Amino acid sequence: MARVAREMVEQAGINVDELLELLVSNAAAELTTYYYYTILRVNLIGLEGEGIKEIAEVARIEDRNHFEALVPRIYELGGELPENMKDFHDISACPPASLPKDPTDAIAMLKVLVEAERCAVRGYTAVCNMTAGKDHRTYDLALAILNEEIEHESWFSEFLGEGPSGHFMRRGQSSPFVSKFLK
Amino acid sequence: MKEYTLEELAQHTGEDGKPALIAAHGKVYDVSDSYHWRKGRHHALHRAGADLSADLSRAPHGAHLLARVPVVGRLRES
Repeated sequence: MARVAREMVEQAGINVDELLELLVSNAAAELTTYYYYTILRVNLIGLEGEGIKEIAEVARIEDRNHFEALVPRIYELGGELPENMKDFHDISACPPASLPKDPTDAIAMLKVLVEAERCAVRGYTAVCNMTAGKDHRTYDLALAILNEEIEHESWFSEFLGEGPSGHFMRRGQSSPFVSKFLK
Repeated sequence: MKEYTLEELAQHTGEDGKPALIAAHGKVYDVSDSYHWRKGRHHALHRAGADLSADLSRAPHGAHLLARVPVVGRLRES
């Protein structure tokens, strides 16, 4: 734990135990999403599935990166991950991104993907709102993750015909915002 | 539709086998079966058994998400 770092956050008026509960539940959402997206991605087959496969894979890897980036901050603040991985799964901030009944239904697959991202966008917006101006390091991290989750949501939303996302797919390295926390 | 007082609402926290109820803008919702309200808690910050109208205005999501849970009553105006 970084004792003084935690004290600074407490003195800024944040309930650090509540913040840690949020961070751990969001970390659980990232790792479980990485797992469930693996199943979704391998089932994105055929002509329609192939078009979505790559963005699903990018989102999958970046969600794993988000988990990796969150873990050090959790421990810096004096928190910890549950010892039991089943417990970790069950405290996820977001519902499982389960495979739809018909995996060949691209729209159904996209709806699962976009809802998972929207849950994450709400979650990190809440963390940003809580930490802005008070816990600069957690805010910086949550904002970086939020930027990537918004891009994930917009990709899937565009494929659902909800309007242009405004930007292009990743070119080159993944996690353009979060990668600085992974060094 | 059943009318709840704040005191009655406060008894429905999702604990001791009771349903988890929340109120927002005069309506009472049963969130017992919602993934986001497991054990009567929402994202470490909110607990069932309360009027969350003010919290909802500060939430990173809109009231439209409440359409996903059943309305079970009205909150009696104090």
